[in-house]
This record gives sequence, C-alpha cells and structure tokens, in this order.
Amino acid sequence: MKYKIVCIFTFVLLLVGCTGERFQGINTHQSFVASMNILEPSLTFYDRQGELIANWAFEKAYTGAVLIQQDRVLLYGHQLTEADIYELSSGKKLATIETGIGTTNAYYAVDEQMIFLTNSRSNSLMRYNLYGEPDGELALRNYPMSMIAHEGLLYVVNYKDTVLSVVSIEDLSLQAEWPIEKSSHGFAIVEDTLLIGGHGEGMHSNETVKVLDLASGKELSTMTMPLMPIGFAQKEDELAVISHGSNMLYVTEPTGKPKWQLEVGANPFAVAYFNSHIIVAGYDDNKIYFIQHGHIDETISVDKGPFQLLVRGDS
Amino acid sequence: MKKLTTKIWVLMCSLLVATIAFMYILSNFIYEELYVSDMEQSMIEVGEKLQTMYRGGKVDDALIARIEDFNAYSHFQIFAVRNPRELSACVPFDIDYDTLIGPNEREQLLKGQTVTKVGYEKRFDRPIISVILPFTEQNRLEGIIYLYYPLTKISELANTEVGLLIGGAALFSLCVAFFIAQGLRRIMRPLHEVQQAAEIMSEGNYEARVNVASKDEVGQLAEAFNQMAQAIQQEDEQQKTFLATVSHELRTPISYVKGYSEAIGQNYMTEEEQREAIQLITREASRMERLTNELLQLARTSQEQEKLELYPIVLAETVREVTAILHATAQLKQIDISETLNEELIVLGDEEKLKQILINILENAIRYSPAESNVQITTSIVEHFAMISIKDTGIGIPKEDLSHITERFYRVNKARSRSDGGSGLGLSIVEQLIKQHKGQLTIESEVGKGTCVNVKIPLMEE
Repeated sequence: MKYKIVCIFTFVLLLVGCTGERFQGINTHQSFVASMNILEPSLTFYDRQGELIANWAFEKAYTGAVLIQQDRVLLYGHQLTEADIYELSSGKKLATIETGIGTTNAYYAVDEQMIFLTNSRSNSLMRYNLYGEPDGELALRNYPMSMIAHEGLLYVVNYKDTVLSVVSIEDLSLQAEWPIEKSSHGFAIVEDTLLIGGHGEGMHSNETVKVLDLASGKELSTMTMPLMPIGFAQKEDELAVISHGSNMLYVTEPTGKPKWQLEVGANPFAVAYFNSHIIVAGYDDNKIYFIQHGHIDETISVDKGPFQLLVRGDS
Repeated sequence: MKKLTTKIWVLMCSLLVATIAFMYILSNFIYEELYVSDMEQSMIEVGEKLQTMYRGGKVDDALIARIEDFNAYSHFQIFAVRNPRELSACVPFDIDYDTLIGPNEREQLLKGQTVTKVGYEKRFDRPIISVILPFTEQNRLEGIIYLYYPLTKISELANTEVGLLIGGAALFSLCVAFFIAQGLRRIMRPLHEVQQAAEIMSEGNYEARVNVASKDEVGQLAEAFNQMAQAIQQEDEQQKTFLATVSHELRTPISYVKGYSEAIGQNYMTEEEQREAIQLITREASRMERLTNELLQLARTSQEQEKLELYPIVLAETVREVTAILHATAQLKQIDISETLNEELIVLGDEEKLKQILINILENAIRYSPAESNVQITTSIVEHFAMISIKDTGIGIPKEDLSHITERFYRVNKARSRSDGGSGLGLSIVEQLIKQHKGQLTIESEVGKGTCVNVKIPLMEE
C-alpha cells in the first residue's frame, strides 16, 4: 500500500515538474489592476477594493508587460532575448517569442489583434500574431519605444530621435515621419489630436504635453503639466496625465481644460483608469494609489519598482 | 662590488632611497586616511546643518539660494539641486546624459542616507571628495545638497614644483651618499691599514704595525693585530737567537774535537799531550751528546704536549730516588741534600718525567751552590697540589733575569762559560714537563743568598 502511495506521489511530482512554471490563475471574470514591478520583477494583481488577487514573482528580469485580449499577458525585458505569453486564468506560459536583446516596449492593437514589439538594438518594429508568430518587421529611427494605434495606423515615438514614425498596421509600411522632441514618451489620442509627453532633452526637464494634429503631425498647442509628463490614461470624458518629475497627477477634460491636480506618490511613471478610480504607481516609494475625485482613497505597498499598470475592466 | 666599503655604501644608499620612497607612500597614506576622512566628516557636519533648512514640500529657489549663499562662508563648494533629471529620476528609461547622481546613489538618498564619494568626477573634471545629502519627504527625493572639495593629491599639490621636489630629493640623496662614502672611508681606514700591514708581514717584515686611532671594533682589531705582530716578531727573534745559540754551542766542541784530532793525526803532540787531548775530545763529545739529547728532549716535549698519560705516584719515593741518583754529584762538592717529605702525597704524573723535572732542578741547585752547602727538598700540600720546594744557598738569580730563566739557552751568565756546565735548556725542559703535568713552576731568588724553586703537581683526587 505504502509503495503505491509513494509511486503515485512521485508520478504526480513528475507531472507537475513537466508542466513548467505556473502562477496563480486569475478568474476570467475578475477585473483587476496589475502593477508591473521591475526592480524585483513581479506582477501583482489587485481588485477594485485594492485587495491582492495574485502575485506573480518572476525569475526573469522582465521590464514590461502588456495585456492581450482578455486572458493573456505578454512579458518582455530589455536585457532578455525572449518575450513570454502567459494565460491569466491558468497562470501557464502559452508561448515564447524570440525577440533578441533590446525590447523596449510592447503594444497590442485591439482592433487588428496584432502584437507589436519595438527594439532598441535593431531600431525596428516587429509585428506578431496572437500566437506570438512573427509577422513582419520594419526598421525605424533611433530607439523606438512608445506606441499607440488608431484607425489602422501605429504611431511610434523614436525615444532617442526627433522623429515620430507613423506606420500602417496592415502592410507595415511607413506612412509619415513627424518632428518631435527628443526623449518624448507617452501617448494619448483625443478626438483628432495626438498628445505626446516626454522627459526633456539633457538636463532640461520637459514641462508640456504637445498636442499634434492627428492627420498632419502639426503641433497645434501645448498643455503645461510640469515636470516631465510621460504617463497617460483616458476615458470617455477625462484625461489623466502623470508627471514623474514633480509627482503630479493632472486630470483634465478632453479639451485639455484642467479639472483637478494632485501631488501623489514618489516618482510615479504610470497612471490608469480602473473603474471609478485613477491608479498611480509610485516608482520610488513602491506604492500604488487609488484616487477618486482628487483624493487618495487607498495606498497599497507593492514590490520594488512599480513601473507599469495593466487594467482589465469588467467583462 | 668587491670591496666591503662599496657593499656597505650601496646598502646604505638603497636604504636611503627606500626610506624616501616609504616616507612618500606614508605621507600619501596619512593624507588619504586623515585629511580625506577629516574633510569628509566636516562636510557631513555642515551638510547635516544645512539639511535642517528644508521644511518639507518642494525645494524652492529661496532654499537653493540660501544654501548657495553659504558658499561664501565655507571653504568647500556647496550647492543644492532639485532638477529630477540631475537626480536620475528617469532611471528606468535609458539615460543618455550625465546625471549628477547615479541610480545607486539615488536609491541610497531615497532611504535618507548620506552619500560620500572620493575620486574623479566627470562633472567637475577633477578628483573630488563629495558628500551628498538628500531632501526627502514621503519617500520623494525633492532635492539634494551637494558638497565637494577638490581632492588635491600631494603630488598634484607639488605639481608645479615637482621638478624642484625631485631635484631636491636627488641632490639630498647625492649629498647623503657622498657623506656616507666619506664616513665609511674614515671608519674603514684602520681595516685598510691592517690589510696593508698583513701584506707587509706576509713578505717577512714583522716590524709592520697599524696606527690605532679609534677604540671601536675596528680599532680593537687593529690593536689585536699589533699584539699579534709583536708576538710573531718576538717568536721570530727567539727562533733566530735559538738557532744562533744552538750553532754556537755546537761549533765550540766541534772545533775542539776537530783541532785536537787533527793535531793527533799529524803527530804534533807528545803521548802525554795526546792522552790529554783525547780526554778533552771525549769530554767535548759527551757535551755535544748531552746537548743534542736535551734538544731532542725539548723538541719531543713540545710535540708530545697532549699525549702524556698520568697515573698515581708516591711523591716521597720519587724524590728519594732522585736524591739517590744525584747523591754522588752532590758528594763531589760536599753538598748535603736534606729532605722533609710528606709521605702521604700521591700525585698524578708520569714517573720518568717527574724524575726528569726534579733531576734538572736539583742539578741546577748543586751546580750553582758553593761547596759544603746545603740543598733542602720539602714536599707539602697547597690546595689541590703537591708542592715540591728545592731550596739552595747558591749564587741566586738577578731579578731582571728571573722572568727569562725558562727561555731556551737563556743563561744568567751571558759569557756562556762552560765552567758551570749548563746548556741553558734545563729549565726550559722543566717548564714544558710541568705544563704537561698541568702543574705550575715558580722561582724565587735573591742574588748571593740562594734560590727556591717551587713545583706544583696536581694531587690525585680521592
């Protein structure tokens, strides 16, 4: 009898061993905000009350993540040669994409169901299908990073360059190149304008968000949001911008008219809407903040270096 | 490098150079350890005081200005920074400009810790000691106070006068090397003189001496050398005298023998004269035989210095046997030999040699005593020795001759008259034999009154 138990136990252990790394699964109907922490790489999931749902601690030095559809997350690292796709409901790894070192950002174009990765080594944009299979590549300018898709076009900021590249999602062709400031980062599309944030060049700290014409790339106006506005989040009637240099959260109407502002966190890089809350991640203080109507409702300590926020709303 | 002087000189110069190098390293070390750490400490103190100016919130221009005002009163540079770009706030992003503080320092400062750095700073294009203190509120790094002081190495300090410094050190080393060489030459001069004197001596000139000026080890060596040279010279002279004496002593009887035998051979003599001549020849031949025997004995005694085997001897018996041997000789001069003997004395000795000692002394006593006089032999115990005293009432020995009396062929009567019959070797032999017995010989004498010879021979230990 004892022998049987030992045999079964060993078999189960073997099975578990064969399945590879597996994290705690997240219910498909569970809405969450997830903090991508990069100093001690982990992804921590919280529900709308700020309760911890799951904590995925990684061995690999992931520096970013992006949600793909409802139940998948893609994790990449600037110093890693591959990106991994995990299933949220099972916590299992679904696929691995050979990216090569230098992945700076990942973007999921919802409408076209395409995954885009930018690479600072090859200075290129790479397209993958939902299964992580390569589907084309386009050489861009120096250090492509920030991406946003709109009506069949992908707007890519070349971080160490003064050029914004406009790429056709369908045939991966370069449509236009618009002049922008160096070290630009962070995008939002409001009606027919493109908002671009940035750090500023050299020792100069950028204090404004540039408003470009979505069709021509012409700079229409600027919104003053010091210092170094780089994080954007938006919902139908509101725009949230986080400036990490001054720890300021600016909330405006879509027209740019200020609604309120709040000093929050220490060196916050990410902002996101999650149901009725605005979530801000403080990189230096390792906290995420639940903010509503200009007040901090809740502060949650997370692992070291919260750098990105992923949000899955109610399905 | 053959000369000892050169070796010592090279050694001392190397030590000098090593000392200068060590002092340089040491002064640098002291500079680093004391000066730098002291500077760091005072910078931290000032920084901590300035830190109290911060009341929380954003770092404003007024605070920055106030801190920079402090520059006027401080010997190090102070400034405040609030630009997040300078403070590596964008660090998760690729930074392609030079920030004032790096990511690690930012992390330290965020914890409220003070950062201290020593080394080259690109921003200031020179090595500096820097101390950075944070202005933090709610985990926000709102700004920093940056204090620095140019780290001027001693070598850099003397950069303009570096030639002078090296030149001075070289000149100093040269001067010291010169003085060392001079000093060494002075110290070693007696050694050179000793060497030269030894060379002269090796050529056979034993009169060479070293001029001793100092009392140090070298001076002592020179003095010892002089003593040795004197001893060698004396020995040499004695040797020469000895040879001269031996040849002289032998030549006289040989010329007698030769002369008389020629005369006999050529029949110039009467029978009576011939008989007398033959007697003379026989006497001189005996004399020669005795002389050569004694020389042989003396030579043998010197050679056998270590070989003598000593055994217990009843001293009174030996003394009696000796007086019996010499009884006839004494009778010829009607000399009476009286004995006062301790019968219990047993000495460690060689009977034959002991007899030889006593015979030689007693013969001398009889030889130099007037007719009808008395010779006394007394034996007694003195400490661990048996003392044999042989006392006569003879002619005595002058004081100045006493110390030489045991030298070979030394005779008080310089005329070398053979009327008293001695060869001048008797007491030399006695002295050698007593030495072999580990005994002592002392002679007391007064001219005209007599001589007392004391011989000490070790008693057998019970």
